[in-house]
Amino acid sequence: MRRTARPDPVSLTAGIVLVVLGTVLLLDRTGALQLTFSSMAPIAFAAIGAILLASGLSRGRRER
Amino acid sequence: MMQDMAATSRRRAGAPLRELRRDPEHGMVAGVCAGLGRDLDVDPLLLRIAFGATSLASGVGIVAYVLAWLLMPAAESSGETRTGALADAAGRTGRAAIEVAFGVGFLLLAILLTFRAVGLPFSDVLTWPLVLVAAGGALIWRQSVGGPPTADAAPAPPAAIAPAAAGAPQSRPAVTSRIGVGVTLVVAAAILFLQFTGALAAATDVALAALVVAIALGVIFAPWFVRLLSSLSFERAERIRSQERAEVAAHLHDSVLQTLALVQKRAGDPREVAALARRQERELRAWLSGARQRPGDEQRFVAALQAAAEEIEEAHGVAVDVVAVGDAPLDRDGQALVAAAREAMLNAAKFAGADSAPVAVYAEAADDRLQVFVRDRGPGFDPASVPADRRGVRESIVGRMERHGGEATIRSSPGGGTEVELVIERSTP
Repeated sequence: MRRTARPDPVSLTAGIVLVVLGTVLLLDRTGALQLTFSSMAPIAFAAIGAILLASGLSRGRRER
Repeated sequence: MMQDMAATSRRRAGAPLRELRRDPEHGMVAGVCAGLGRDLDVDPLLLRIAFGATSLASGVGIVAYVLAWLLMPAAESSGETRTGALADAAGRTGRAAIEVAFGVGFLLLAILLTFRAVGLPFSDVLTWPLVLVAAGGALIWRQSVGGPPTADAAPAPPAAIAPAAAGAPQSRPAVTSRIGVGVTLVVAAAILFLQFTGALAAATDVALAALVVAIALGVIFAPWFVRLLSSLSFERAERIRSQERAEVAAHLHDSVLQTLALVQKRAGDPREVAALARRQERELRAWLSGARQRPGDEQRFVAALQAAAEEIEEAHGVAVDVVAVGDAPLDRDGQALVAAAREAMLNAAKFAGADSAPVAVYAEAADDRLQVFVRDRGPGFDPASVPADRRGVRESIVGRMERHGGEATIRSSPGGGTEVELVIERSTP
């Protein structure tokens, strides 16, 4: 029976983060959202934090 | 001098710039300046001054340093005896801890900024202290659940490389430095919080009072404390000694006492008694030297050769002395060589007789070459006069060695004993 490959957590997180960011920017372009620096900064920090956390946790698990 | 300058200019002009690596061994924090200085031929002190000045001026230096720390891999230290795989594994574990710390910090910052953006009642005084506490706490937590630290000075044996790399043990200085950074972040958060709330002055007074009380108590109780520590270490040493004694007693009971009981039982058979004594001697020597093979250990060439010698000795009652220099894993070539050496020992035992001098086996084992000499002081023979139907020498020794790319040389003369030399050259892995 063929085994299904497990997705790489870092790539998966980065992909989800990019999709969310793209959706937010698209909503901003269509006028559904009004993005400002104060509203964009937390999203950017959250994106960087999520990718770093996923990378660190998955790297630590691989080493164990 | 001119040659040095020419070499430097050639390297700068022609050679590709090598990858920038941190040098934690010679660094003060993470080895960024030491690594950059080494790779760019700049005095690290100048770089440290530049980083310090830009940190004080606008804080850019701190950001640049942290980014460089994240992006530059650590170089292996010069005195390191661990393999690259082990060092890489330890480096990746440390990098993972730093990534987790930054990730937690960024995520918490995002949450706090969101609170402020949506207008939740939240004080800015708490933002940076909370972010620093979260990042420092994550760093300490990751280090505390990571692999066990290993002392840098202790060289790891080759057999321990694979499991150690899998478990990713980290060097003690690296673990200490990362825990130190985590603790610094948490302390900085506490100081920031006290500063923002104006409680730093009061806290300083409390800290001073606590320090004075601690020093006074230290002076009073130091002698008892030192005595307690020394008695604890004495007790620990006693416990270790007692465990070792119990281990030695158990081994002596299982081996030497059992053999002595057998010797008493078979006292009428000198050949059997001699074989028992030889076997016990070999086992005891292996135990004392720590070279005894344990169940599950990788098969080694010398152990296989000694097992073959022991087998011949027991079967024919002839002493076989094995002297080995070096060792190697037992692969197919090694197995063939052991089998050929066993055949040579068997011939020596059969034709030399039980009353003659011991059969001498001398082995040299390295990764690229295996060599064994088997010598006896028996009656000897003329190698050219061995009949074609006698397959012992022709097939089991010479033919077997040739099939595995090796060579067998037999030197013997009637009355002069026999020497069989077996050699296999191997390509290094």
